[in-house]
Amino acid sequence: MALDQLTEMIQRCQVIPEDGFKVEDYEIFQKAGKNCLEEMKTAEILDIIKEEKNKVIIKCMGWNLLGPLIKIVLKKDKTSLQHCLSMLTHILEVCSPKEVLLGLLEQIEDADMDKIAETIVLLLQPLQTVLLKLGKKKPPSVGMSLSTILNQISQLPVPYTQEQEEDDAHGLCQCCVALLTFTKPFVEEVQQSYTNKMVGDMEELRNELLKFCIKCLSNPLLHAQLEKVPDVADEMPMRRFATEIVEILCCTGESLPALIFHRLLSKKEEPGFLEEDAKYSKDSLACLSYLIFVQHLGMDKFPLVFSPEFILHCNMLHIETLMKRKEESVLSKALDLFEKTLLRTNQNSVTVQFLEITCFLSVPQALVQIMTLCPIQHLRTKGLQIFQLYIDIFDVEGKYKLFRCLLEVSHHAGVEGYIIQNIKKQIDLALKPGNGNLWFSGAALLPLLRLVLFLPQGPETDLLQNLDRIMESLNLLRYLLIRDKEYDNQTGIWTELYKIEDNFLKPLHTGLNMSKAHYEAELKNTKENKKHKESKEENPLCTLSVAGEKLPNMTTEMQLQVLQSAMFTFDLIESVLARIEEIIEVKAKK
Amino acid sequence: MDPLEKSSTKNANKKTTNEPPEDIDFREINESYSQWEEQDAYDIPKMTTDTEVKMGTEPTSNLTEQGQDLTPRQDGGVRKVIKRPGDSGETPMIGDKVYVHYTGRLLNGKKFDSSHDRGEPFTFNLGIGQMIKAWDLAVASMSKGEVCEITCKPEYTYGVSWNPPKIPPNSTLVFEIELINFKGEQLTEDGGIVRRIKQKGEGYANPNEGAVVDVHLEGSCAGHVFDSRNVRFIIGEAEDHDIPLGVDRAIKRMEKGECCLLYLSPKYGFGTEGHSHFGVSPNADLIYEVLLKEFVKVKNTWDMTMTEKLELAVAAKQKGTQYFKAGKYIQAVIQYQKIVPCLELEENQSEEHKAPVKALVLSSLLNLAMCHLRLQEYSHAVEKCNKVIEMDNSNEKALYRRGKAWLQMNEFYLAKSDFERVLEINTENKAAQAQITICLQKIREHHEREKQTYANMFQKFADQDAKVGKRKPSREDGPVKRRRRSKENL
Repeated sequence: MALDQLTEMIQRCQVIPEDGFKVEDYEIFQKAGKNCLEEMKTAEILDIIKEEKNKVIIKCMGWNLLGPLIKIVLKKDKTSLQHCLSMLTHILEVCSPKEVLLGLLEQIEDADMDKIAETIVLLLQPLQTVLLKLGKKKPPSVGMSLSTILNQISQLPVPYTQEQEEDDAHGLCQCCVALLTFTKPFVEEVQQSYTNKMVGDMEELRNELLKFCIKCLSNPLLHAQLEKVPDVADEMPMRRFATEIVEILCCTGESLPALIFHRLLSKKEEPGFLEEDAKYSKDSLACLSYLIFVQHLGMDKFPLVFSPEFILHCNMLHIETLMKRKEESVLSKALDLFEKTLLRTNQNSVTVQFLEITCFLSVPQALVQIMTLCPIQHLRTKGLQIFQLYIDIFDVEGKYKLFRCLLEVSHHAGVEGYIIQNIKKQIDLALKPGNGNLWFSGAALLPLLRLVLFLPQGPETDLLQNLDRIMESLNLLRYLLIRDKEYDNQTGIWTELYKIEDNFLKPLHTGLNMSKAHYEAELKNTKENKKHKESKEENPLCTLSVAGEKLPNMTTEMQLQVLQSAMFTFDLIESVLARIEEIIEVKAKK
Repeated sequence: MDPLEKSSTKNANKKTTNEPPEDIDFREINESYSQWEEQDAYDIPKMTTDTEVKMGTEPTSNLTEQGQDLTPRQDGGVRKVIKRPGDSGETPMIGDKVYVHYTGRLLNGKKFDSSHDRGEPFTFNLGIGQMIKAWDLAVASMSKGEVCEITCKPEYTYGVSWNPPKIPPNSTLVFEIELINFKGEQLTEDGGIVRRIKQKGEGYANPNEGAVVDVHLEGSCAGHVFDSRNVRFIIGEAEDHDIPLGVDRAIKRMEKGECCLLYLSPKYGFGTEGHSHFGVSPNADLIYEVLLKEFVKVKNTWDMTMTEKLELAVAAKQKGTQYFKAGKYIQAVIQYQKIVPCLELEENQSEEHKAPVKALVLSSLLNLAMCHLRLQEYSHAVEKCNKVIEMDNSNEKALYRRGKAWLQMNEFYLAKSDFERVLEINTENKAAQAQITICLQKIREHHEREKQTYANMFQKFADQDAKVGKRKPSREDGPVKRRRRSKENL
C-alpha cells in the first residue's frame, strides 16, 4: 500500500522539473517512504533510490528518509542492514550536504538515552563525510556538530574504575575514540595551515576545535580516571582521549601556559558571559592543569622557565575551583594537583607575602574540610599528607602566619592538634644553635602560644571532643618547660607561665574534676540500672543510622565500656598535667 | 666532565672562603633580591654596557672566563656571556612584556626546552616573579637584539625540588636567550593603559575596589606637567579628585611602594572633553607617574556583617547615581558593580533583610543595564536585564531596557517581543509603543534591503528556499527550529 503510493508519486514526479515539486509530493515521499521502511521493504526502496531516473527527486527529498533509515540500522536486522547502509551512502552522495548535515544532527540530538552512544558511533563517519563536502564553509557546521555531539555525550555516565572503563557499558569510551577519528581531518587541516602560512583562513576552524577541547576537558575528562594504569599494554581509552585532546589543543595554536595562567594574567576585571567564558571555563582550565602537571601530558610543549612560586600561585586557583566540588573523581584530581604542585616547590621557599593572596588561605581551609568531613577515607588520608607538604613550603614567617590563621578557623580538635604538633616542631628547630629566628622564639612566639595554651570554653570545654588538641597542647607545654631553661627563657614561656596556669592548667583541672565526677555518677547509674532492668526490654530514645544502615541499639554493656574508656582518657590527661605541674614545682623550688 | 660544570664547581669552591654555598637561605636570597630590585631600574643599562666594554680587556673580580655575575649577592649563581651585543643600551623595565627566543639545556648538553621548537617567540612580564630568578635577572640586563648564554645554579632556577619529567633536582641549567623585543605592560585589553614600573613595590597585595590610597602623582601631556601633588582618595572615586579613570584602574594593580609610569589613551584620560583647569585639550594622550605610598583595603564582603554590607550597597548606589547623572558611566558601573556580588548570596539567608536586599540588587542591575546601554555595551546590558527578569519576570524596566539593547544589536524580533511584553504589563507605556513602531519599521527596512541585495543574484536560490519553506509544515517543530539555526550558521 505505502509502496504503491510511493511508486505512484515517484512516477508522477519523474517528469516534473526540480522546481515543480509540490508540498504534497514531499509529504507523500516522507510518509510513504517511512512506512515502506518500517514494513521492511528495504530492497524495493533501495531500487527506487538508486534508479537513475529518480536522481533529481532523491536529491531534493532523499534526506527525509534519514530518520527512519537510521532507526532501522540501529535495530541491526541482518536482512535489511546492508540495504539500509547502501541507501545511507547513496543519500550522502546525492543530497545537499547542508540538508544531510541537519538531518544527521537531528538524529543525534533525538537519540534515546540508551541509544546515544550507538547512534553517535554510527553517524560520526557520515557526518564527517558531509562536513568535508562543505569545504571552506564548514567551520560553523563543524562547531555545531561537535557541540551537539558533546551535549549528547555529557548525558552518559563517565566510567571511573578500570573495570567500568573496560566494560564501557554506556559506550562513552567508544564515543570518545570515534570522536578522535571524527576530528582528525579537521585537525590536520589546521595543522597544514601552519606549514602553508595560511593561518588566517583557519581562524574559525581553529576556534571551533579549541572550544571542543575546552568542553571535553570539563566533561567527560574532569570526571574520568586518567592515571596511567601499570601493566596494561594499551593505554586506557579515557587517558588516550585526554592525550589526544591536549595534542589537538596544541595544534590549535593556543599556548598551554596562556591557558593555564589565564586566570592570573587575565586583564579583564569582570568575566564576560559570552564566548570568552566558555573558552576559559574554570573547570576546564583546572583539568588541563591537572593533565599537564600531574599526568605530564603536553609537558614537552610546556616552557620550563616559570618560577615554581608562579606555578604554585596559578595552580592554587585551579585547586580552589576543583575543591569546591564534591565528586570523588574531581576531589582526587584536586588533591593530586595540589600534591604535585607542592612537590615542585622548594621547602621553606614561599614567603609570607603569598598569604596575602586569598587562595593561599582559602585552599588550606578547603583542605581541612576534606581532611575532616570527606566521607572517602583515602582522600582524607591524602589530605593530611598534603596539609603537611603545604606547611613545609613556607618560610618561617609564612609558617607562623599560616598556623595563626588556621588555628583561628579550623574548628576541629584533630586539625588543631596537628598544627600544635607542627608548632612544636618549629620551636624545636628554632631552639637548635644557629637556627634562631624571630618567629618561633622570643616575643613573636607568645601570641601564637596564647592561641594554643588555653581551653576554648574554659572549664566547660568538652574534654573528650577536644582531646587531640588538649593532649598536643600539654605535650607542647611539657616540651617547652623541659627544653627551654628558665634562665634562657628563649621562648618566653617562663614569664608567661602564670597566665598559662590561669587560662589553661587551672581550668583544665576544674574541667577534669567535673567531668570525672559526672562520668563516675553516670557509671554508677548505669551499673544500677543494669541490675534493675536486667530482664526488661528497653525502648531506645532515638535510633542512629550510618550510611542507610540502622545501628543496633547500645546495650548497657556497651554504654559501660564507653563510660569506662572516657574515664581512662581523663586519667591520661591528668597524668600529663601532673607531670607538667611537677616540672613547674621543681623549678619553682630552685 | 663537562667543561662548564668543572669551572662552575671550581668557582663555587673559590667562593667557599667567605660564603659557604650550603648555607644559602632562600629567604635571604629573596630579601636581597627584592632590595636590589628596588634600585632605580635605569641603573641597569649603564651597568651592562660598562661591563660589555670592559669584557676581555680588563677582567674584574666578578668576571671570570664564564662571564659576568648577574646576582645581586655576587655569588656566581647566574653568569652571563654575551654572544651577540644588542642594538642599543636600553633595557626592559620591570613589568614590561618581553619577547624572547631561548633554548635551555642541562649541563650534560641535553636540551630540555626551546621556544624554537614551538616555532614562536616566548613572551612574559619581566621582573615580577613569573620566571625563575635567573631569567628575571638575565633578561633585565639585556638590550634589544642581544643574544647571551646564562649558566644558572639551582638556587636561581628550580632548587632542590624535582621538576618532572625533564629537570632532575639540583640541576645547573644553561640557557641561550635572544631578546627580540619589549614593551610596556598593557593593563587593559584595548591597550588604553600601559604601565612601566620604575620601582617594584612590596608584597602581593593590591588595593581593592573602595580601598583608601595615598599616592603621589604627576600628570603630563605632551611634555608639559599639568598636575603634581600628593593625594588621598578612594579607589573607584578618583573622579572626585580630578584624577582620570586610567590612574584609578591602574592603582588597583599596583603594590605598596611601587612607582610607575602610566600611558593613558584619551578614553582613560580626560576623554573627549579634556580638562580646562589643567589645560588638557580634548582627546589628549596623558602620561602619569604614580607612586603608591600607602593603602588600606576595605574588608572583603565575606568578612562583613549584614549591616555593613547594606551600608556599603546603599553608599555605592548613591555614588553610582551621582556619577551617572554627571555622565560618567564607567565610574557609575564601578560603583553599581560593588552591590551585586556583595548581596547576591544574602538573599536566601536572612528573612528580615530579604526585601531591601532584593530591591538593592534589582535596582543596581537595572542601573547597570542603563549604564551599559549608554556605553553601547549592549550584550552586557542584555545580560544584566536577563538577571533581573530571572528574579522578576514582569519587570517593566528590565524588559524595556533589554528591548532597547536588542534593537541596537539588530535583533528586531527579540526587541519587538520585549516591548510587547512591556505593553502587556503596562498598557500606558507610550515609549514602548513608540519602540514597537521603530522595530516594525526596522524590520521592513531590513527586508527591503535584503530583497534588493539578493533580488537578481539569488533569484533561483530564493525560489528553492520558498519550496523548502513550503515543505516545513510537513515536519514537526524540530526541523523548523533547526532550519533557522542553519541559516545563521551555514
